[in-house]
Amino acid sequence: MRKSRFLWALCLPAACLSQSFSGETFNEELAIRALPDGKVASRFEFSTLLHGASPRNPRNLSSEDDSQHYTLFPLALGQILRQYAVTELHLTLNAGKWNYDRWGYPDEPDVATGASMWTWMAEGSPVPRHSVDARWRDLRNALAGLFCASLASLDEQRTTSPVLAFVPQGALPAWPQTEPHALRHASLPSEHVCTENLTPFLKLLPCKSRAGLARLLNPHRLLDADWHGMGLHVSWLPEEGVRVRLTFQSVTDPLRAGNTRDWSLSSLFDRKIEAACPVAASSRVVVALPTDESYSIRPEPSFVGQGRGIFDLAAQPLPLDVGLHWPTAFQYATLPTAQSPLSVRRTLHGSSQDHSTLAVSIKNAGPAAVRVAYLETLPWIVHLYLHTLELSVDGVPRADLLRDLSYTAPVPHGRAAALEAVLELPPNSTVSLRLGVGRAFLQYGEHPPDAQRGWELPAAVVVVLPEHPGNDSQRRVYTSALLVDPATPDFSMPYNVIIFSCSLVAFIFGSVFNGLTRRFIVVAAREPGLQAE
Amino acid sequence: MNALRARLGARVRARLQADPNIARIHRKQALVAVLTRRLHIIKIALFLVGYLWMAAIPSPRLGRGTYIDENALGPGQVNTYWNWGDVANADRYLEQLEGLRDANATSEERANFLMTEFLKLGIPASTQNYVFTSSAGNVQGTNAYAVLSSPRTSGTEAMVISASWISRTGEGDGTLNLRGVSTVLALANFLKKYSLWAKDLVFVISDNYVDGMQAWLSAYHGATQSNLQADELELASGVIWTALNIDYPGHSFSHLGIFHEGINGRLPNQDLLNSFQQISKWTGGVSVLVYDHQDSSQTDIPSWIPSGFHEEIQAYTYRSKNVVRHLGYQARGRGSGVHGLFHQFRIDAFTMFGLPATGPHGFHAIGRIVESTLRTTNNLLERLHASFFFYILTTPERFLKIGSFLPSAVLISVAMMFGGLRIWSDCAWIPDLSDKKEAGQDKWIQRSRPVIPVLGIMLSTHILGAVLFSAITTTWFINNQTLASTLILTVVSTIPLSALLAPSQDASRAAPISQLLKALNLCFASTVISIITVVNFSLAMSLAILLGIPLSVSSPSKILPIRLGKFATYTGLALGWIFASEELRKALWDWEILGVWFAPFVCIVYTPLVLQAGLVCLLPL
Repeated sequence: MRKSRFLWALCLPAACLSQSFSGETFNEELAIRALPDGKVASRFEFSTLLHGASPRNPRNLSSEDDSQHYTLFPLALGQILRQYAVTELHLTLNAGKWNYDRWGYPDEPDVATGASMWTWMAEGSPVPRHSVDARWRDLRNALAGLFCASLASLDEQRTTSPVLAFVPQGALPAWPQTEPHALRHASLPSEHVCTENLTPFLKLLPCKSRAGLARLLNPHRLLDADWHGMGLHVSWLPEEGVRVRLTFQSVTDPLRAGNTRDWSLSSLFDRKIEAACPVAASSRVVVALPTDESYSIRPEPSFVGQGRGIFDLAAQPLPLDVGLHWPTAFQYATLPTAQSPLSVRRTLHGSSQDHSTLAVSIKNAGPAAVRVAYLETLPWIVHLYLHTLELSVDGVPRADLLRDLSYTAPVPHGRAAALEAVLELPPNSTVSLRLGVGRAFLQYGEHPPDAQRGWELPAAVVVVLPEHPGNDSQRRVYTSALLVDPATPDFSMPYNVIIFSCSLVAFIFGSVFNGLTRRFIVVAAREPGLQAE
Repeated sequence: MNALRARLGARVRARLQADPNIARIHRKQALVAVLTRRLHIIKIALFLVGYLWMAAIPSPRLGRGTYIDENALGPGQVNTYWNWGDVANADRYLEQLEGLRDANATSEERANFLMTEFLKLGIPASTQNYVFTSSAGNVQGTNAYAVLSSPRTSGTEAMVISASWISRTGEGDGTLNLRGVSTVLALANFLKKYSLWAKDLVFVISDNYVDGMQAWLSAYHGATQSNLQADELELASGVIWTALNIDYPGHSFSHLGIFHEGINGRLPNQDLLNSFQQISKWTGGVSVLVYDHQDSSQTDIPSWIPSGFHEEIQAYTYRSKNVVRHLGYQARGRGSGVHGLFHQFRIDAFTMFGLPATGPHGFHAIGRIVESTLRTTNNLLERLHASFFFYILTTPERFLKIGSFLPSAVLISVAMMFGGLRIWSDCAWIPDLSDKKEAGQDKWIQRSRPVIPVLGIMLSTHILGAVLFSAITTTWFINNQTLASTLILTVVSTIPLSALLAPSQDASRAAPISQLLKALNLCFASTVISIITVVNFSLAMSLAILLGIPLSVSSPSKILPIRLGKFATYTGLALGWIFASEELRKALWDWEILGVWFAPFVCIVYTPLVLQAGLVCLLPL
């Protein structure tokens, strides 16, 4: 058996030429572009397509599933997708704050800080464990095990189902006798992303990190970047099949150590591409070329067009170490220039422990009015006072800019709040939104066991709504996370607290008990001196 | 012997026969009687112990050595990388700043220059214009600030490194803090090279002395102030945990001084100061002082004191200087520098002040110390410990815990409360002087204690205080201070004289108003002092000194000149501050711009309390 497998492995390069393994295709791409502030954004995309496959109908969850045979498609993931009948899945683990003003829009739109996950699933058979919520819970636990991340914490207290912000990237199958698909979204901004998440990520790739572009995924360099994030995106394309995209984005700063913005694969990742992944149908490095400056790129790209230099690993001599060099020295721009037409700033004002104000300002630098959906998902420890909602432009109240508002109130200890507002942003203006926020008083068991620094509120999402419905290219802008500090007892001195409170209780109880049980009678008290005589 | 046995037997027999309840009541009565009889001595003893305790606060025998409570801070445990290249950068920034100074650049030009310098480093920066309107005129300026987002952080937490344009030398007498500002700029250039920061770094160069930072912090926290018009901040970061304010006015410095008092008597967490002290000593090699005076050993000690005590006396003199300065800053609610504004937003902050000298330290030392201190505060995972906010630093390495200074003021307040309660209970009784008196026994008759008029008098003095406060916050007062002070003093001291017209009452039916007023006045003052002890100990201690004895000795008199003389003395104590024109102007400025409640507190609480004691003297016996 082992011998035959070995022989089969020897045949791999031959099979590779046919570029398809029994209906599976694997493509990989690395896109690198220099950002205006001298940093370098790189995005790895590993995409596996399962031809002709379709998501599992949750109606059939009770019956035996077809057996699964994958060659390139990650089996561990495939099993999870079938087991919980997931139609579309997006999971991202990011570290850092994406700076839209200086870096523009990211190549992969999901850049929320920490762990974030959203799925589209259909309602299953009436069996309770086949309901969307039960499968969502099990899916979180399964992925938590797969990625070594605290995804299990994305529980009911963090789960919401917003309507506008997350449209499916692929298609949703219309099964007969099945209710329409439902969205589940949750995010955990305080999740830290590190090597233990990257290793399982690499294990899902057919060539692991031994060959191909994944060779460059060097944790020592990636996890030192200014921003880094990995993503898993599963969607169904009716004409093609089920597609799994594994992405890794990072923003590296060549200017951190030196004063040149020149970069090369070896300077960014401390590695070169030494071998191509033999099972990849296509494997290429795409470099965005500077448009208005002189530069030199080496080696020569296989193909240059549309401002991009493309290196095809099949046509390039290996090892490959792409590098870009600017002959002129770099100067930071001293005039602030926004790289994205929308700029969102969200802050929490107020220093008291029970009340504060959420201040959001959305700047539309474009010449045309834009309609956006503003989505705020908050854990129940903070609640919004909707009557305090104020919208203004340059200090002038503009309640008319609010076109639609839906609010799911939080349930203490149970459900998160979700606020979804459709706003009209006038051209060249900054709309500021203010909302009063109350903070809950937590029971002592509800405080997190780790060091007390407050609770992180997930990033709000601003989605540019397409002008014509049906055009599904969505632009999402994530704000930074916020830290909210509810009133916290001093857990480091429980002994003192117990002593104080017990004394108080004893004192009150003693006096009340005394007063209730004592019998008051009149006694004739004479002067003590007289009595002795 | 037999007589003794008989007496003992009688006592035992009596006790056996007696009801145990009666015995208990008698025991209680006896105890109360013993205490009341000696109340005067107890009161004097409490006063004595309280004042002696206060005097002992600077003693080197009190207090203990400083220590780090939060183990996560790990001060001075890192290698520092700040080097001579960064010193050269700081020097270059300094040259440019000196150019700006020589060119008499406006606030806006300066802020724009600073913003451009930050932007040249690739750090997002912006400026903020602000205007404060106050009765003493408008204060305006422009702040420059920059927010360095640390790699891989979510931007929810931040640390501030700040410098004000004007140094704290002479409480902001106009000395420029050019080296402090260039240190901040050079640090920005240096700190961005490291990816180890767990919190965003916010650099703030605030304009003027304290008002710039007040405007910046108000805008950052969305705090509204009716007399402040400030731009909104274009750049934001998260919750600020700590702030280091750099004040380096001289050419070089010999010591670094810690200034830590915040406005309204708030203090930063002591762990921050202790960490800085350790880092400065071991990493930077710079000795630390509390404030900016050194331990001068040239104190003249009279020769008749044995030489064995000289050392202790010297230590006491040095420490008492520190304690007195601490009391001065904290009692007046005045922050000892720009850092003082941070505390109101629960940010731990202090100023490191480079004591101007001809040497030996400069940019190299201060850069390393700030770098290492930032690494320490960067380690912070949670709020610093709640019990480390009450302390008096007698030297950089010794401090007093709350338990070793708080009781002193509480004892005084207890003595006052005892005095007040004694008078209150005495008021209810009057000896029966009628002829039906039995021989050898005083007979006491009860009389009423009319509280309502007394409370009315107290309330009206506080209202008078509020009117006085609104009068001194007018522009008219600031512009004609000498004339206005005299006028106000005359008016405020004449109004209570109407008490002279109060008719004398029948003392056998109702207690005299003067006695009741004194009782309530003492009780109220005592309550105020004991509450203030935990909010602002220095203020409570000053009140205990100013009110303790004077309020206890107020007494009416039958002779009019003596009554008037006593009243005049109390008026002087209550309103004498009105002629300290410079101090008054500063206090009012602090109130209007920074929201320091010392001025209204004096007008609405302190002055009325003393006036009430004056009224006690004026009212008929």
